[in-house]
Amino acid sequence: MISKKQNQNLADIVGEDFFSSEDFMTSIYSSDIAALPGLVNDVINPHADAIAQPTTTEVVSNLLKYCKENNIPVVPRGHGTSGYGGALPTRGGVVVEMTRMNKILNIDKEAMTVEVGSGIIWGKLIEDLEEEGLTVGAYPSSAPSSTVGGWVAAGGSGIGSTKYGGVNEQVVDLEVVLPNGEVIRTKDTSEQDLMSKTEWKGFGGGDSFYGDVDKDIQYKPDSTHLFLESNGTLGIITNIVLKIIPLRNIMPTTSSFRSQSLMVAALQDILEATRPFYLHFITDKFYRMLKELNKAPPTTGEFVISCAFEGTDDEIATEMEKLEHIVGRHSGALEPREVAEHEWSERFYPMRIKRLGPSLAPSEVYVPLDHLDGYIDHMNSHFKDEDFALEGAITDRGEVAVLTWFPDDERRKISFLMGWYRSLDVINLGLKHGGRAYSIGMWNAAHSRSFYGKEDYAKMSNLKHKTDKKGYLNSHKVFAGPLVLSTRLNLLIMFIAGLVVPIVIWVARLLVPTIFAAYVPWIMVNDLTSFLIWFIVGILVGYVATEFVNLIPITVVLSIGTPFLRLGRKIFH
Amino acid sequence: MTNLYEALKHEGLDIEPTVCAKCGFCTFVCPAYLDKLWDSQSPRGKLFQLRKLIKENKPIPRDFAERIFYCTLCGACQEICQTNIPLLRFWQLIRQEVGNLDEWPEIVKYIDDSIQQTQNIMEMDQIDRTLWTDMVDDLVEGRIGIKAEVAYFAGCNISFKGTLAHMGENTIKVMHAAGVDFTILGDDEFCCGNPYFVAGGFDKGKELALHNIKALKNLGVKTVVFNCPGCHRAFSEEYPHLLGKEATEGLEFLPFSEFVLRLLKEGKIKFTKKYPHKVAWHDPCELGRHQNIYNPAREVLNAIPGLELKEMIHNRNKARCCGGGGLLKGTNPIPSVRISGRRVKEAEKTGAEILASECPSCTMSLKDGIEDQKSSIEFKDLSQIVVEALGL
Repeated sequence: MISKKQNQNLADIVGEDFFSSEDFMTSIYSSDIAALPGLVNDVINPHADAIAQPTTTEVVSNLLKYCKENNIPVVPRGHGTSGYGGALPTRGGVVVEMTRMNKILNIDKEAMTVEVGSGIIWGKLIEDLEEEGLTVGAYPSSAPSSTVGGWVAAGGSGIGSTKYGGVNEQVVDLEVVLPNGEVIRTKDTSEQDLMSKTEWKGFGGGDSFYGDVDKDIQYKPDSTHLFLESNGTLGIITNIVLKIIPLRNIMPTTSSFRSQSLMVAALQDILEATRPFYLHFITDKFYRMLKELNKAPPTTGEFVISCAFEGTDDEIATEMEKLEHIVGRHSGALEPREVAEHEWSERFYPMRIKRLGPSLAPSEVYVPLDHLDGYIDHMNSHFKDEDFALEGAITDRGEVAVLTWFPDDERRKISFLMGWYRSLDVINLGLKHGGRAYSIGMWNAAHSRSFYGKEDYAKMSNLKHKTDKKGYLNSHKVFAGPLVLSTRLNLLIMFIAGLVVPIVIWVARLLVPTIFAAYVPWIMVNDLTSFLIWFIVGILVGYVATEFVNLIPITVVLSIGTPFLRLGRKIFH
Repeated sequence: MTNLYEALKHEGLDIEPTVCAKCGFCTFVCPAYLDKLWDSQSPRGKLFQLRKLIKENKPIPRDFAERIFYCTLCGACQEICQTNIPLLRFWQLIRQEVGNLDEWPEIVKYIDDSIQQTQNIMEMDQIDRTLWTDMVDDLVEGRIGIKAEVAYFAGCNISFKGTLAHMGENTIKVMHAAGVDFTILGDDEFCCGNPYFVAGGFDKGKELALHNIKALKNLGVKTVVFNCPGCHRAFSEEYPHLLGKEATEGLEFLPFSEFVLRLLKEGKIKFTKKYPHKVAWHDPCELGRHQNIYNPAREVLNAIPGLELKEMIHNRNKARCCGGGGLLKGTNPIPSVRISGRRVKEAEKTGAEILASECPSCTMSLKDGIEDQKSSIEFKDLSQIVVEALGL
């Protein structure tokens, strides 16, 4: 909890108009787009104590210095458009929303870069660049509302990534405020400098989750990559320098296929023979759900590929010729221009099908394109009793960001809770097919090491260890931390333990009365007084249990809980 | 008092906050959010709060009721919504809920009292309904309350606000020039009820609807012409919804632009004079997003020789609000002007010397925005451009 005085101090640092600790406000900023089952919500217990919207790098720096000195947890947030838990306040504290740092600071037409405040919305940036005849190489499908900083911190691929790479490939330089308030430019700060600059603060705390780097590790002169996709655990990104490209023609196309294997084969050939700006598919299940909503394009087949080319008229014409040939070779149909335009305009709307839920349980994983056919088959057999929609976008690395949507109903509490295992299973299936997690956030923290690579993860954890050992900056994200159960859940555990202890004693005395009489005759429950005594003892036992539970990392809870959820879903679904 | 959220449940909209994907697309098109940059002010944030209140069957707290009215009802949220939530209707019903709790903002209560006592929003005597005709008294002489197939419905703003009277005058001039046999209702014209529809006071608006339809039908009217998109929307969308489709059968409702376009196509008027100006067109929300009417005004402007139509970045269904809708100008006048200022800035970027629209509310707001921004752009209502181009 933040004290009243601390609240006032924080408001003074950020500015009264840009700070709030009112309940209605903190509850809004304590969630992201994912709907959490009630029990998960109690276990994770996301609740911010206050919201700050800094307007300058200096304010961010002062804010972090104050929060670190006063041990106030800080959670950086873009516009809360992700569902990986990367912006959930698991230990209370201040949510730092960056949307007021939203200016275009500089457009360098020679170097073809743009420097922006990290809180600028992609849609706004693209609109403004287009006025200058420029654009960005890639942007997320959440571009109408997501911040540049949010995507850089969460990571991923998007529209344009088939040609220009994911978000990491767009970033040239970052301005980052480190946990101690120091401001750096990552391009000019070598990894070694970064490690040596930050002084060891002897906090106590959960450093056991962090690793050390090997002595012979190679340090790079540019530390930018350490902060990419790091979910703001190593520092708050305030300004970003992005690559830009000239604004050129976009030619969207849509082709449809009769079967999954034909579609996948066409995707492989398209990627091999052409250089699309955007290459995306939906499977028949997704198509049928869209049809139910009257949002499906009238296509010949139900496996649909959207492919857009970018370039000069001549370049596009050449690519189109190749595409027509490939589509024909796989018995597909190149759909009319109106269908292609419709699909292109729908690229921002993957969640249309939520209306069928009214909730959606999503999960995303990278799978190599070569394994896509097998992966989809595996998904179909693994989730044969579930409704789900599947779509994917191909990256320049030949990977497919496969997004699976399970329409569900969060109002059916038990079934919705049990269904949570699906999101975790989707990733595990992807890993089995040579894939990797799409983004880490909080829910995928168990995959951090493989996601960042052993060496980079070691550097990142070492940096975290040195600059923020106690984990006040976005705890539980990337580096798995112990649970912080809600008060409600703590009390519930204690109450249940209070009831269980006297009942167990009573039953045990009935079953083995001789043992009790011989060794512990004073342990008995035979009247109200003795019940109350053992009830209180039970509460104390429960209290000890909650303390132990609060030491278990979230990742362990998830891996232990998943099989139970899977079994429960089978029973309750 | 009615049961909480009864109307919402009756229309099956109580589930919509759960259907919301929380994607936030609605935030960066919402004038109220863009003014505050707090999610509590965005459609997404409001749905988040309402979801809990509806689930727990708790009334809307007073501070939240104020935020509900911090909204222009421009419909941009509905237009961009990922899950197609009918947000315009949703907000109307939530405002109705606020009214049921007797938490309407003071200005709404004032308008309510005024309409109840004087049948107009200005608390003025109905006898003054025709004050706006002073400058065209020769053209309306003998036309008040007569039988005719075409009626002009001025609405409260044009009838009583001197700065807007020119819109009515211009329409009359065009009708006269085209030789249209028209009538005006005079003091038999009651408020169209739009302020009630905007505030969710549907029952009260129903009485006004019944009166206006009866008055028009008594005069044998078949076509009603409006300068005000709010009035137009009330007649064409809310009246059939409230009274049943049969109530408005045999009546057609035309915004000024569509009426002029018809006169042009019928050859009753013709633009011959050169009008060498660059004009940026602002789509009024109540015509555009609310009723999907975008083309007539553009066709009229394009028919004027020499006029160069400039489109703003956000146009048609993506047009940004002028700041005057949803009673925001009354409930939150200062933010309303800031929103107007943003729209004016966008118009300036087109290089146009004139910013035009066809709506009394947009006229007031955008003029305020121009003053606020100290902009050199000039605002003209479509009727004014048409009259000037016709040389009337």
